[in-house]
Amino acid sequence: MCIYEDQIGKFDWRQTYVGRIKFAQFDTVSTAKKIIVATEENVLAALNLKTGQVMWRHVFESASSGDIQLLHFSDGDKVTTVTGSNPYLVRGWDPTTGVLLWEWPISIIDTERAHLSEWWVQNGMLVHLLPAFGSHLEVTMYNLMTGSNRGATSKLPTVWTNDGCILTPPYYTCISGNMGNYMLLSLDVTSNAVQIISKPLSNYFSEGEVIEGNLRPLDGKTSQPGFIIDDKAILLIKNNEFEPLNVRLADQSASATFIDAISGPMLVQAWSDENKGLSITAYNIATNTEITDMQMSGPKINIPEAELLGVLCINTAREQPAYRILLNGADDAVHLLQQGGRVVWSREESLANIVAAEFVDLPVSETDAALESEFDQKEAIKVYSSVWAAFVRRLHTQYQQLHTLIQNLQGEGAVLDTPSPLVRDYFNLHKIIVLITDVGKIYGMDNLSGEILWQRYDGNLNTESVVMFTRRSARHPPHDAYVTIIGKHEETGNGYVISLNPIRGTLVGERVLRLDVRLLQVALLHTVDAEKLHALILLDEDETVQVLPVSAAPLVRDLYMYVADRETGRMQGYALKYDGRQVIAQRTWSLNLGGAGARIVTIAGKSRTERVHSAGKPLADRSVLYKYSNPNLLLVVLERPDPTHKDVVTAVAVDAACGAVVAASTHRRARALPLAVHSDNCLAYLYRSDKHRRLEIATMELYEGNERWLPAGTQFSSFGCARAPSVERQAYIVPASLTALAFTSTEKAITDTHLLMGLSTGMLMELPWAYVDPRRPMTLSGEPREEGLIPYAPELPLPAEASLNYNRTVQRVRAIYAAPSGLESTSLVLATGLDLFYTRVAPSKTFDLLKDDFDYHLISIVLAALIVATYSTKYFASRKMLKQAWK
Amino acid sequence: MCRMLSSIVPLLLLAANVLCAVNPSDDEVGVGRYIIEGRVFPPENSDASNWQIDTRIHVNAGEYIGFVKNDGTFTLHNVPSGSYVVEIVHPDYMYEPVRVEINSRGRIRARRVNYIQTSQVIQVPYPLKMKAATRFRYFQVREQWRITDFLFNPMVIMMVLPLFLIMILPKMMNDPETKEDLKQFGDIAKMTEFPEMSEYFASFFSGGAKPGAAKAKQNKKRQ
Repeated sequence: MCIYEDQIGKFDWRQTYVGRIKFAQFDTVSTAKKIIVATEENVLAALNLKTGQVMWRHVFESASSGDIQLLHFSDGDKVTTVTGSNPYLVRGWDPTTGVLLWEWPISIIDTERAHLSEWWVQNGMLVHLLPAFGSHLEVTMYNLMTGSNRGATSKLPTVWTNDGCILTPPYYTCISGNMGNYMLLSLDVTSNAVQIISKPLSNYFSEGEVIEGNLRPLDGKTSQPGFIIDDKAILLIKNNEFEPLNVRLADQSASATFIDAISGPMLVQAWSDENKGLSITAYNIATNTEITDMQMSGPKINIPEAELLGVLCINTAREQPAYRILLNGADDAVHLLQQGGRVVWSREESLANIVAAEFVDLPVSETDAALESEFDQKEAIKVYSSVWAAFVRRLHTQYQQLHTLIQNLQGEGAVLDTPSPLVRDYFNLHKIIVLITDVGKIYGMDNLSGEILWQRYDGNLNTESVVMFTRRSARHPPHDAYVTIIGKHEETGNGYVISLNPIRGTLVGERVLRLDVRLLQVALLHTVDAEKLHALILLDEDETVQVLPVSAAPLVRDLYMYVADRETGRMQGYALKYDGRQVIAQRTWSLNLGGAGARIVTIAGKSRTERVHSAGKPLADRSVLYKYSNPNLLLVVLERPDPTHKDVVTAVAVDAACGAVVAASTHRRARALPLAVHSDNCLAYLYRSDKHRRLEIATMELYEGNERWLPAGTQFSSFGCARAPSVERQAYIVPASLTALAFTSTEKAITDTHLLMGLSTGMLMELPWAYVDPRRPMTLSGEPREEGLIPYAPELPLPAEASLNYNRTVQRVRAIYAAPSGLESTSLVLATGLDLFYTRVAPSKTFDLLKDDFDYHLISIVLAALIVATYSTKYFASRKMLKQAWK
Repeated sequence: MCRMLSSIVPLLLLAANVLCAVNPSDDEVGVGRYIIEGRVFPPENSDASNWQIDTRIHVNAGEYIGFVKNDGTFTLHNVPSGSYVVEIVHPDYMYEPVRVEINSRGRIRARRVNYIQTSQVIQVPYPLKMKAATRFRYFQVREQWRITDFLFNPMVIMMVLPLFLIMILPKMMNDPETKEDLKQFGDIAKMTEFPEMSEYFASFFSGGAKPGAAKAKQNKKRQ
């Protein structure tokens, strides 16, 4: 359960992320050059300019109280952030160490308009601007360090403002007037004298051009206030005058920024085109020339919807200045480019938001595949007509094996350079993790190294309630592995199906499929077709059924589905049948759980790969307590407001095939957490008890009793048995707060199951089921003791030794995924959240593997010594015998 | 007889909306916003120079998050009245959590967290003073190979002792005095078929240290 100190990093890795970058500022003054970033995930961090690694990081609240409104940093200064959403918090940070220097709160009395607030820092003062469109602007200045208010709020009358106005500190700019005679108005809100710059907008456009009047500011930290009109013209404000640039925006979607380079002020633009890739241009304003060494274009780098976060110009020893361009993509990846288009580093920040993960087996190597097909019965009959053919084949395979062995021996040195081939290892510990991120980017990751093997961005995929199925594993050699992702289309909300080869990331089979209907439910057919592929069953909104591929439709029989509505708590069951022409769905049962006003918080079903190893538990009196192993069981956790008990949590175990309620329990004055797990006959869910202000975990175990209901070997049927199982239940106090919960899973389920818990402190804990076993007795005597049950204690122990990730904290754990490996004792675990953490756990210790501290030297020395001792004593003994014989 | 049946239970709800996990606190939320303040003391003899960056203050498991200044002080702003558990989160050191209660008039009381007897009040001083309790012990200590462990291992003793008996004792036998003793002993054994235990020992101990070894041999033989 716990590891040795020298095993750090041996089976585990952690990757830290910050999330999609919102603001970025370069720090080139400190000895270690870095980029200070603030992100959509409410993280403030410093990234190393050379490597892109996180130097320090602060994670704020994930709710709106942690939203970063402003990141200010100028050379030699301190980092300032404004976070929250009324009340706001102003904090100052040391850029080198990241330590907090000052903090003070601001509350805005006008709560309705507070979200329109704009912030910036000017001359050591924090400026807060609150616009009231069509009437006035409220400008307040605070001392940055202390928060003391310099004078009162000044109100600037501005009747010309509207919600299309933008702020380019310190100017507030609007387009006002009617279509056709727009006026461009701008105001320096911090100056004492109110000076409005006003010009007709048509001055900046040639005649006949249609002017829409859309404003957008320049991206990144600009050295001069400037903005873009209608995605065409670029204007700067200099000495209280508009100054149009004689360059226009190169592309409608281009992102532009304005920097002060050594050679003069410079306009940098970047845009991406689906076919042409990324283009960057730079234009010197002072000399009116293109800067050619900054220019790049080409399909080499493809950043979808590239956006400039900042451009840095470094003075090098040589004459030529060096440039660093920080770019953000629509796929949340951030790239640092240098001139010429070389990528210095990239960070895949979308991995901070993983919504689904699946472990996929690797294919066996070619020689192994040949071996397997040789011993495959069906294949053998087809291929070899005689014994001789089989014998020749055997010799051939053995020759091949010998050949590879020799090759391996010869090329041992060279192997290190080439990446290890993606083939299954002996214990099947090497897998590929397919990850789907919130933004719609799909990754294939090597589980041993954490390296990204392939990635694929699809902007059309809406990953809200996305599901992923492994429809064919790599176990069927001529066929490749096959993974299908079912989500929604970004715009229409209709079904969107992507089929991939998880090993290489290429599209296969149905490729990308846009359905013309919304989906209600998706399932995988349990039987395989001729190509060893599990068919996909899609239940549409109008309750018609689609089967992918269509040829698998006749295979549909005895298939049941359910649909649950989160908001009303209604559940509807369907039975699917093939009627000779098509598959039809019939409504079979419907339930309204939890009473009126109930809301489903979470539903936990069994894992698709789950196996049940034993049918019961042996008791102390040598009898067997048989488990109620219903493969169709679901745990539904509901919450409903109650007039007397505030909130009531109801947990119901439902048979999803026939709609029968198997077990239920209620907790008053409690609020449910979306954490519930179900495996075998065990159910567990969490709720917060408002009465005692603590977190509790409730567990249930279902048993048939001392007698079997069905004769041994019979498959369970939801329709066959009307008996209710006996339910053991118990609740325990969790002295921490959890954000993720999962069961370990192993190949044959012989190993114990442990609960894996993600704590809000960033720790991952492993807790044996025995501690939350509902059969823990109150007093320890007699039978329970003999059975090995632990006596009941209300509070669960969470010792530091049970931590999987020791001091490698995983921030904001969102989910834990466990997958079996080829070793029965070992389960592979991936925790996702802001960070990624991968490790493997052995719930019952590694009973099928030699300990890794097994001392091979000692045992060989002892063995050698014994052999030497045996022969030497033999020699001495014979000599003695000889001597004695002479006496 | 139950019909053979297998069905698939899909796991996710596609039609449903996203779940909102954040619930408002159930206690009556006052209009007033208060601050929770205190000071974190770094673990003694800690070598980490920038412990401030690793230390975070979680209120109600991250509902409010505070950060530590250089001198160890922290302030949590904009906290409405209610009951909060304040935890100091550090990857290497454990701090005791404290429950802070702010009533609707803004009076603040701090007490120990007791999840079992929730009504029990053991007050702690406010502003909070958080001292590191212990260092987390994440790792098992690997058994080290020591020569004494090896020597006192029963297996080794079992091997060494017979070796001693085989190799050393015959050497001793060559000593004439012992031989005499043994001879005497042999005579007694011949005379009385089963010697008296007391005599046996007496004859031994009179012989001093060397017969001690003989006794060991005798014992061995009996085994």
